[in-house]
Order: sequence, then C-alpha cells, then structure tokens
Amino acid sequence: MKLTASREQILQPLQGVIGVVERKQTMPVLANVLITAQVGEPGRLTLTGTDLEVELVAAGEAAVSQAGEITVPGRKLLEIIRALPDRTQITLTLDGDKLKVSAGRSRFVLSTLPAGDFPQVDEVSAEQAVVVAQGELRRLIEKTHFSMAQQDVRYYLNGTLLESADKTLRAVATDGHRLAIAETTLGEAVRVAKQVIVPRKGILELQRLLGEEGDVSLSIGTNHIRATIGEVRFTSKLIDGKFPEYSRVIPANPTRIVTADRNMLRQALSRTAILSNEKYRGVRLSLSAGVLAVQAHNPEQEEAEDSVEVSYQGDEVEIGFNVTYLVEAIAAIDGENVEIGLTDSNSSCLIRSPGLGDVRYVVMPMRL
Amino acid sequence: MPIRILPSQLVDQIAAGEVIERPASVVKELAENALDAGATQLDIDIEQGGLGLIRVRDNGSGMSVDELPLAITRHATSKISTLDDLMQVTSLGFRGEALPSIGSVSRLRILSRRAQDSQAHELLVDAGDVQTPRPAAHPGGTLIEVRELFHSVPARRKFMRAEATEAGHVLRLVERLALARMDVGFTLTHNGRQMLRCLPAVTDEQRLARVAEVMGDEFAGACMPVVVEAGPLSLRGWISLPTFSRSQGDLTHWFVNGRAVRDRLLINAARVAYRDVLFNGRHPAYVLSLGIDPAEVDVNAHPQKQEVRFRESRAVHDFIQRALERRLADTRPGLQSSAGDIRGTVFAAPSTNTFARGSSGSSGSPRGYAPAPLRPQGFSFERSSPWQVGEAVAGALAVDALQPDDRPLGQALAQLHGIYILAQDAEGLVLVDAHAGHERVLYEKFKAAQAEKPADSQALLEPLVLTLREHEIDALLQSGADWERAGFELERLAPGSLAVRRIPATLGHSDIGALLREVVAGVLDDQGVHHIEGAEHQLLATLACRAAIHAHRRLTLPEMDALLRQMEQTERSAQCNHGRPTYARVSLPELDRLFLRGR
Repeated sequence: MKLTASREQILQPLQGVIGVVERKQTMPVLANVLITAQVGEPGRLTLTGTDLEVELVAAGEAAVSQAGEITVPGRKLLEIIRALPDRTQITLTLDGDKLKVSAGRSRFVLSTLPAGDFPQVDEVSAEQAVVVAQGELRRLIEKTHFSMAQQDVRYYLNGTLLESADKTLRAVATDGHRLAIAETTLGEAVRVAKQVIVPRKGILELQRLLGEEGDVSLSIGTNHIRATIGEVRFTSKLIDGKFPEYSRVIPANPTRIVTADRNMLRQALSRTAILSNEKYRGVRLSLSAGVLAVQAHNPEQEEAEDSVEVSYQGDEVEIGFNVTYLVEAIAAIDGENVEIGLTDSNSSCLIRSPGLGDVRYVVMPMRL
Repeated sequence: MPIRILPSQLVDQIAAGEVIERPASVVKELAENALDAGATQLDIDIEQGGLGLIRVRDNGSGMSVDELPLAITRHATSKISTLDDLMQVTSLGFRGEALPSIGSVSRLRILSRRAQDSQAHELLVDAGDVQTPRPAAHPGGTLIEVRELFHSVPARRKFMRAEATEAGHVLRLVERLALARMDVGFTLTHNGRQMLRCLPAVTDEQRLARVAEVMGDEFAGACMPVVVEAGPLSLRGWISLPTFSRSQGDLTHWFVNGRAVRDRLLINAARVAYRDVLFNGRHPAYVLSLGIDPAEVDVNAHPQKQEVRFRESRAVHDFIQRALERRLADTRPGLQSSAGDIRGTVFAAPSTNTFARGSSGSSGSPRGYAPAPLRPQGFSFERSSPWQVGEAVAGALAVDALQPDDRPLGQALAQLHGIYILAQDAEGLVLVDAHAGHERVLYEKFKAAQAEKPADSQALLEPLVLTLREHEIDALLQSGADWERAGFELERLAPGSLAVRRIPATLGHSDIGALLREVVAGVLDDQGVHHIEGAEHQLLATLACRAAIHAHRRLTLPEMDALLRQMEQTERSAQCNHGRPTYARVSLPELDRLFLRGR
C-alpha cells in the first residue's frame, strides 16, 4: 500500500473516527484504525475506527499509487499528523509489517496489525430508511440524552429509544426517575412503525458527528443502526430489550397548570439547589396562588428558600423533586416561558413549553 | 420387601448416623455427659485421631451398678423425666441416645463409681452386644473408653479424614467446651501428646488466660468485656476491638445457656452490630454467652444441638445487636482510657445468671469476663528517623509542655507530613490520623441526621416488579411500617409478584432489585431492614470520606484541637469508617526507652 495526501486530507477523516478508538485496550487491534486505500481517479482513502459497539468510517480523496489495507495505532497516527505543519504532503507506505509515514524531513515508522484482524460490521440489512435534517436529529438527541440511565442493571435504559411511526421521528430517554421525549416531523411517512434502542455511547458519538446543515440518512436494521453524514458513516449496535411503555407514564391531564418565566425559575432552582442534600438534591416546591416557592435543606441543617411569580390560581400544594431533574428539563426546552403540569404530591409532573408538545419531560416526585 | 420392625441394633446404628458423625461427636457426647454429671475436671485422651481410642474421664457423680445397663439403653436418661422438663432443658444432653448409639458402632467400656458406693463397676459393650456389669477398681466418677470407632460400620469409617484432621476437630470441640465452662478443668492428649491443658478458671485473670489459650494472645490483648443484662436476657463475654478483625469468621464462639452453638441468628446479630466499624468482608472475633430462660429456647431442633430456636427470635436478635452496638460505640478515646472504671462496674456484679444449668457443676459464678485491655492496640515504635514536624511545634511546646493534659487525645502540637496530628497528653504522645478521624466524625453526624426523620424517597416512573415466592412477599410486607420509614413503597401485584413504587432517595440508581432479593433472604432470617440500613450507611460513609479533610491539608493548631475534641465526643471514633484505627499512643516510658533514659 502506498498513498500520498495532504495533512488536511488525512486529518479530517481521522478526527472523524478517533472518538471511538481507545488507547488502552484488552484487544490491541481496537486501539488501531483501519486504513484502506483504493486506486482510482481520484484515489480513495478510507479510515475506520471501532469499539465493537460503535463503528465509524470516514473517507476522503488521496493519490493512491498502490492499493491495500492495514491497521495502525490510531491515537499515535492522529498525534503525528496533527503535529505536522499545515498543508504538508504526507506519504504512507507499507513496508513489510511497518507503516512508514514521511512528510518533508520527518519520518515515522508505526507498528501494524493485519487488516484481517480488524472487526468490521457487515452490511446492515436496512428494514427502514429515514432521511432527516441533521439539525433536527441533533436537536432530538440534545433534548433527551441527559435523561438516559448510566450503567443501570436494566440495560435497556442505558440508551435512547428512536421511534419512527408515520411522519414522526421520536427520541425517548429515561433513567427510571424521569423521562424525556422529543419528536420531529419527517418529510414523508415511513412504511412501518419501528422502535430501536441506541446505546448511550452511540447516541453521544452521533450527537458529536451531527452538524446543522444537510441531511442525514438513517438505515435501521434488526441489530444495527447506520447513519450516513456526508463522508462519514456511523454504525451502532442496538440494545436488544424492551423499552418501557413511555406513553403510559406521561400524565394525560394534569389538574394544576403553572406557567413561569423559564429563566427566572431555572435560576431560582439552581440557587436553592446549593443547599439541598448533595446526594439526591431534594427540593420542595410549594405552590400557592401566583407564587411558586422553592425550599431546600441539607443534612447540616442549612436552608435555602426562593420564589418566583407564576400564573396559577388554585389551592395550595406541596411537592418534592430532585432539583437536578427539574433544572435539566427546564434548561433544555425552548422559549421564554415554561409550563409545569402537576396533579398532587404523589403524581408525576409534566414540563414543556407552554402549548407545545414536541419536547416534554416527565419527572417523578420525591417524598421529603 | 414386606414392612417389618427393624432389629434394635440397626435402629441404634441409624441413630448413630445422626448423632455420631466423627470422633469429635463422640467426645462431645461423652464430655457433655460428664459436665451434666457435675464434673469439675475432665481428662480426655484420644489415639489415632479418636478412631483408635477415645477415653473420657471425669470426677462427676458416677453411676450405680443398676444404672449401668440402662445407660446404654436407648431413650434412657437421668436428665429429663417429663414433657415439662423437655420444654425447659437445662442439661446439655437430654435425648438418651448418645451412649447406645456409640455402643452400637464401637467397643465401649464404662467404668463408674458413685461417691457413696464401696465398689466401682465395669460394663463392656461390643458393637451393641452388652455384657453384664462386673466389679472393678476405680477411684470415683466415670471413665468411658471408646475403642475402634466405626469398626462395625465400614462405610462410615471410609469417610474419616486423616488422623490429624480428626484430632483437630476434637481439639476445637474441647476448646469450645473449655470456653463454655470456665469453672471446669480440661486436659486433652492425642497419642500421648498434650494438646490442651486448662486449669479451672475462677478469677477474671484466669478466665482471660483461658480465653487467650483458646483464642490466641492477640485476641486477648485486643478484646473488651461485655456484660449486659436486660430482664430475662443476659449477654456476657469478650468481643474484639474493631481494629482486630479477621478475614474469616473462625474466631466466633456463641454459647446459649452454656451450650456451644453455631446459630445463624446469633452470628448474624453480631455481624450486624459490627457492620459500622469493620471493613467490608472482615469478621469480628468474640466469645459470647447468651443467658435466656430455657423455656424461651428450643434446643431440640438439631440432632447435634448445633442450632437452637428462639421463641422471640427478633427480640433476641435486637437485644444482641443493640448490646454489642452500644459496647462498640464506646470505642472512642475518652472511654477507652478509662477502661478501668468500666471494669469496676462490670466485675463487681454478683452471680446473676438466673438460668444456671440444672446440673450441680454449674452453680458457680457466671461464666466469662475479664479485665479490659487498657489500650486499644499495641504500639510498636520502629522508625527512628528524625521527625519533620511543622514550625509550629517549637512555640506550642514552649507554651504547653509544662502542663500535662487530661483530655483523652491531649493537646495538639503539630502536624506531621500533613497526615498525622501530634498531640500530647498526661502520659505521653498521641498520634492521630486526621483524615480517618474526621471521616468518622462526619459519618456519625450524617447517620444521626438520617435517623431523625423518615427517609426521603424517590417515586419511580414505572414500578420495579420483582418475582418472589409468596412466603417471601408475606415476610417483606409484614414489616410494612419499617419499609415505609426506610423510604420504600411495596405493593403485592399478584401472587408471587411484588411492585416497588418508591425507593430511598439515597439509593438513587443502585440495583434495587438485587438489594431487595438480598433483603428477602435476610428477612427470613429476622434481620430485614438492617440490610437497607446497611446499604444506606455505606453511602453515607462514602460521602463522609469525600467530605473529610484529605491528607496534606495544612491544619492550624486550633483546627487540630477542634478535631481532637470532636473525636472525643463521637461514638466509635477509635476507628475510621473502614475499621482502621484513628489514633495511637506512645507513652513517655516508651519514648524514654528509645533514648535509653533512666537506665
């Protein structure tokens, strides 16, 4: 294998795939990236990184004089390329079991592992293909990802549910205490409704890859989901499990509707949170006509109290929450105001932009 | 095959299968008989691990010539006579099974003489074949020889382990008896070599010496006495200081009314009591005697009487746990240095063991206590490199060196390498691990705050549904109020399925399912909510560890003094949350020795 390309031609795809390459590995080949060179006019350079759960493939142009494929330590290659001066021409030559990297007066010899050892995802048998604007998919992930569980024994919670039905694409994440749901409208209806759970790592990697411009095409198979974003191809395994029936836990008709200035409420909550129990961050909301008061105290018997004006005309009610769940939800919605739907101190609350249903949060109360 | 009545020798051999498992079981039965006969001295000789010969000789009441043939008859006993007796057994044995069982699987020789008889008699039994008693010479008491154990049951003989292993079992058994009956002298020889020799222990020093003999000097130097009485229950013995822990639970001895038992409930109660001061997976060591009304305990639950049943098992568990927790809570600097006072109140107590065993030999003083060691741990002073103390030391010494300090942890002088606080008290130097000490202070504070009110609880979006067996769910729901207090909301969904709707907020994202399954096992053992409490305390301990001052944090003298004073006020502050000691002392004489002063 032999190819020549500019620093930027190699750096850009390499940065695209490096996110899943860990330096410390029990399987050495996973610390490597796969380099594939194809002869042509122009020649193609393809880089692949994987952690067995998420695979990233990025391609670009290069002057390939001899086709071939090989794997080399990914992080080291990235550091070398990055450290070279801008627009340097770099030549990669495979010599025996070493890869020579030469550029100007610099020469590097990297160890390699055979390309045959590199685990690659086979072609995904797409059962459904969806095209959506990159910005929209990114928005869905941004609005929900913080509600995913982390290393929960209920493995199906350690990811995000992507659901496509009719003309709607929906993302749902929950850790068992709260739930986030965001949806967007698709250009055309999908043939069959489909639900898949994308693991946490895949969701966060996908979020990193998605930009504002252009479309992303998703193809969803039984075991994998694949997203093609320009020259980068993202493939993630799916979590095989049954996601909770989320529609059941969304309160249908909260009896008390509170509307407040989003920023004021968020700041009041954040201030109060300082003196809440640092382990589980309990705060008590006291709702009365026109005022929402927030109180917290910690094991050291310190106390915080704050209040905001709200539009609410009803009887008084007290209800406890983990303030982190409230703040994250309120911070994630759009608009000036926030609408909170409550029923009583034992029922969940629903947080959304007033009148809008595309982004919703359900938070379970605490008994304090 | 038609149904028929088994020959009586076969019946004995079947019974022997239950009672006589190995040579140690024979020794146990014979020694218990001797103790029930009021013996004050037991001499036990074994050969070939007990398979060749077991000889138990006592100075007890002995048997008359008429009683000898009855002794080896099944269900013949002098220990109980009515059902009422069985309901409150005070002797070690009562079934009347041991001698016939032993006789059916060995060559047995009984030699006995009562004090009032002029003549001793001898009875020989060979594999169940009983000969008539004949006169013999014997000074008094009873001597029983068991030869060729299991020679008539080759199948059993095949399962015997090596000689040394069997002898080891016998030794451990005799050790347990020796702990249970301090007033009795014991000797044990194996193949003529002495393995154990205990003189009757009457004074506290002698008792502690016996404990040291069995449990090791290390235990004896790191234990504290326990004497607690609450109505009909009493608890006496020695428990290890938290700083003396073991990787196995092998040094744990329980006695119920003088009977050695290995009962799960008792072992667990002690484990739970130590939970707060021992590192995970470490075991305490103790010798503990529970006194209880014989009518409240059923010893007839196990052929070898290893397990017992309590009528009020929860109450017994709680009594033991509380008593030990209180004792362990005293492991703080202020109290340990005054262990002498504790001894005063503890050892002045007269014999109040209202449930003394029925046999005559146990009428002496109650078993088991001895002086507390004065220091929590020995301090060995090995490093002689010059200490690099902070610059504050000179000034502090100038001001305070002349006034001895009566406070248990003394007056702070300086900080050593940002880790240890150096303080001086009236007796010398006190070294305190600042992080460990602060960690315990915070942990106890957090626990107190947590205990004040019902736990905060987090509702779940979807109930967690567990599949359990019906009786497990019943057991869980029985203590509903406790669960509520701990922050749980449990509900039976359908037979065999339990919904968890709320969980304690502190347990947030831990594996509640696994925790509850563990608890279920615990509930059936009568310890239920302790598990949850344990999990919560673990979290608090982690928080405390994070919140405590860390090594290399510079402390000023007032800060150091404040910490020492807090530690003196805090329960269990002689150990950090992980059971490591928080302070050590070097006395002036020890320091003097380093510098060869006064020689």
